[in-house]
Amino acid sequence: MTTLEDPTRTVIGEGVDRVDAPLKTTGAAHYPNDYTYPGMVHAALVGSTIAAGRIRSIDASEAQRAPGVLTVITHLTAPQLERGPMTLLGPSPPAPMQDDRILHYGQHIAVVVADSPEQARHAASLVNVEYEPAEALLDIEDPRAEILENPWGLDSERGDVSAGFAQADVVVDERYTTPDNTNNPLGLFTSIASWHGDSVTVHDSTQWPHNVRTSIAQIFRIPESGVRVLAPFVGGGFGAGLRVWCHTILTAMAAREVKRPVKLVLTRPQMFTSVGHRPNSVQHIKIGATSSGDLTAIEHRAISSVAMEDDDYEPVAAGSAVAYECPNLLTHDRQARLNIPCPGSMRAPAEGQGNFALESAIDEVAHALGMDPLELRLRNYAEQHPVLGLPWSSKALRECYTLGAERFGWSRRTPAIGSMRDGDWLVGYGLAGVSYPFYQVPCQARASLRRDGSAYVTSAATDIGTGTYTVMTQLAAECLGLDLNRVRFDLGDSDMPYSPQAGGSGLTGALANAVHMACGNLVREFLDIVRDDDASPLRGAAAEEVTASGGRLHRTDAPDQGEAYTDILNRHGLEELSADGRSTPPDPQKIGMATAGAFGAKFVEVRIDPQLGLLRVARVVSAIDGGRILNEKTASSQITGGTVGGISQAMFEETATDAGTGRIANATFGDYLMPVNADIPDMEVIFCGGPDRATTVGTKGVGEVGLVGMAAAIGNAIHHATGRRLRSLPFTIDQLLL
Amino acid sequence: MRPFEYVRPAETEQAVAAVTADPRTSFLAGGTTQLDLMKDGVLDPQRLVDITRLPLKGIMHADSRVHVGALTTMEELAADPMLRERLPFVREALLLGASTQLRNMATIGGNLLQRARCRYFRDPTVAACNKRNPGSGCAAIHGIQRMHAILGTSDQCIALHASDVAVPFVALDVVVHVQGVDGPRAIPLTQFYREPGTTPHIENVLKHGELITEVEIPLLPEGVLSHYLKVRDRVSYEFALTSAGVALQMEGDIIREARIGLGGVGTVPWRAWSAEDVLRGATVSAESFQAAAEAALEGARTLPGTAFKVELAKRTLVRTLETVAGASS
Repeated sequence: MTTLEDPTRTVIGEGVDRVDAPLKTTGAAHYPNDYTYPGMVHAALVGSTIAAGRIRSIDASEAQRAPGVLTVITHLTAPQLERGPMTLLGPSPPAPMQDDRILHYGQHIAVVVADSPEQARHAASLVNVEYEPAEALLDIEDPRAEILENPWGLDSERGDVSAGFAQADVVVDERYTTPDNTNNPLGLFTSIASWHGDSVTVHDSTQWPHNVRTSIAQIFRIPESGVRVLAPFVGGGFGAGLRVWCHTILTAMAAREVKRPVKLVLTRPQMFTSVGHRPNSVQHIKIGATSSGDLTAIEHRAISSVAMEDDDYEPVAAGSAVAYECPNLLTHDRQARLNIPCPGSMRAPAEGQGNFALESAIDEVAHALGMDPLELRLRNYAEQHPVLGLPWSSKALRECYTLGAERFGWSRRTPAIGSMRDGDWLVGYGLAGVSYPFYQVPCQARASLRRDGSAYVTSAATDIGTGTYTVMTQLAAECLGLDLNRVRFDLGDSDMPYSPQAGGSGLTGALANAVHMACGNLVREFLDIVRDDDASPLRGAAAEEVTASGGRLHRTDAPDQGEAYTDILNRHGLEELSADGRSTPPDPQKIGMATAGAFGAKFVEVRIDPQLGLLRVARVVSAIDGGRILNEKTASSQITGGTVGGISQAMFEETATDAGTGRIANATFGDYLMPVNADIPDMEVIFCGGPDRATTVGTKGVGEVGLVGMAAAIGNAIHHATGRRLRSLPFTIDQLLL
Repeated sequence: MRPFEYVRPAETEQAVAAVTADPRTSFLAGGTTQLDLMKDGVLDPQRLVDITRLPLKGIMHADSRVHVGALTTMEELAADPMLRERLPFVREALLLGASTQLRNMATIGGNLLQRARCRYFRDPTVAACNKRNPGSGCAAIHGIQRMHAILGTSDQCIALHASDVAVPFVALDVVVHVQGVDGPRAIPLTQFYREPGTTPHIENVLKHGELITEVEIPLLPEGVLSHYLKVRDRVSYEFALTSAGVALQMEGDIIREARIGLGGVGTVPWRAWSAEDVLRGATVSAESFQAAAEAALEGARTLPGTAFKVELAKRTLVRTLETVAGASS
């Protein structure tokens, strides 16, 4: 059958416009908040105004009496709930409102349900709470905080680090810090729950409908078959939609109590405390090198903050273990338990923080050696996976460096600090390398071909703006030999075949291989039907001998010997044929290769006004090895969006917490800065390398790699321009006043 | 939902009478601050008097002055050709404020009366705010201070006046015309605002119910150059960390007259009188500009989060002076 290497293939890789673009641009795409049910009522949440302690009393009588109010639920009246399940990403958040304890500011302590959202919100302000406050632990370096050592078992050690530093001619030993960041998808997270007996339909701003299904079933002790979760469109997530947060559970709880469909829309300030955030980090990194530029030792120790009774996967230092060929290495991760809202994945979790320290420190080493930072990186290039000792399934990082450097004009860089100028502005060039980890988990899909010759392909995945709808439509069209407009790919419904989360840059790979297999199996179904069919030119043909093209199957060596899908269905009296496919992640030991994630090289030019401390990113070249690119346009958009996110991390984003109370002090879009268009320069994206060898389709996720490296590259460029090494994000004017 | 009454009178006298009569009645113009604060539960008026139908819109030029109706929007004023010719720093300050969408809604009168951006003022779950709840304390002094003031502060309030256009306005000695039940009066903008002192909830000299009807802007003399420089954390759509509005009347390289306003630093739009005194009669030089900047920031009171603003404000002023003087030579 058609392979993806077939030179006749036309649909894969092309910059096809998003298939959902007309829906989105005309407002016809329905996001969770756009749904409404007959008799639907509205919920609003009350958040705690202390970060630690107990609720001494909670008086909801005034709220109960407010116009339109149906009920006010507090920990005193809430039903007992199970904690949600263990997931691929770790344990579920603790069930909400189960006792009087306060563990963070903004913790949900009451749900108000009223006829209108305004009535609910007003009544929520009337709930009277008295607290018994305790001293809150809020500082990541507070010596009283409980420390979790090596919480994921990912600490690594190889060689002899002390001996490595002893051999070094140059040692860089520095402290880097990154602040809390908040995901801030544009779409306010919304949940709707509608019960019918023990069955419930849930609309949710989720990146993983099946996780919501499993969680709701377990928490409310009902069968999973009775839970349907819908998320055909989600207004962004950046990781905030990976877990089943308390507001979703409280919506289902409230709807069950009032026996009406209930909608809950978080406010923007609640988005800062309810759906995770990138936790802050303090990192100590030490790198040794010989005078000729060989790395002799790397030691990277990181600590991140985590909530009191919750978990978050954030191995900040672990990524340093695979970035370079270095014989002696130690990475060590810790977490400090604080009275903070629970962190969660935010686009490039852990990598976004860890790469900043590693790639800045590498630049420090290069500067100390008087060596070109690009040369230092190439000199210590990890040809093999440094931990597994296996060849990579694909790695075009060298091409990323060399082609990126060429496109950027890296050779024009004069190494001396402050040696490049544009009028009164100092100019700096900086770069960073990125080795993004491989992540893939099992996934399923189903493909059907109907009597009119159109195909319908489904999986319970989500498209959080990434292009999933589009690239899977392309892939199915390619595999089945159909025009794009004859294929509909649908997602976002937990009644569809199982899909993992849109996260970890792993969905495209997992889903593409499942869709590919489903389409292959569907072709086999057709061949099975005509195996003994004398009327079919395909009689007895094996899948390997057949090509799908133009709505028909034909023998690859004799294109005139074939027939249309519709002819087979008609002749055999079938309405449609379906087949399932599933993908499982490759096992490095079995395939003898280290499964590779995406790689990247980021080249940045900055301009700095040294008197006023103004920093402008003037241009960015991103050279990315993303394996097979299914759609040049959507993949490039992912890198561009990631680059903007990286500029944002580098220069703007910082969730500020009041030291005394644990309140988020800038929980609005007016106060939490992200770049505007005027802050964003021309961004060029080039793709390097080819299909990854570890999987059939050969894609590598590109959702996160674009963000990583920006902070280090910008910081390195600042150093080149000014000689000032900034080790604390974000890079703001006060740090840049020279 | 907090119910409130909404009325839209056609006559200024009716509007002024309606608000004067009831302490819980407020004017509503562009609504870009008022409605936000109501939604956030900071303001809780029982009645809103929509003044957008009053005959207070439009720009008139007479006697070397621009008479701006209070309901003129920021965009409308910025588009006035006279500003480009004779008041460039006013135009620059207008166009560097907010966003196009907001500037199309926000009125000049409302701009002068905009409330503090302080997140402690704007979040009613914060108990301590002397501006919102007199005598309750100031959470900002112990909080995140980056966007707060360093001049004109008190132990009770450090909230910044965030208007851009008010900076060249105070430098120009703009006059604010107001209408009250007892008749009209004219107030120089430099005497319009009140520093917080022990009464941070009182922000200006208006009596309840007095309505700004017109802002009268004197033109700069012909040949006087001006510039507004805004330094902020992102290129657009953000308040100033520091800003400076400067107009210089030059004779060769001698400064005959200087008008200087500072933004991003004061609890009120800041007129840098002492810097003007330093420059009046001085020769253009790095030293005189630096001396002016030192004088302007004398008496600044900083907190850890605002300490950097002293140096940044000085450099902002020096750069603005250099730009204006450079263009004049």
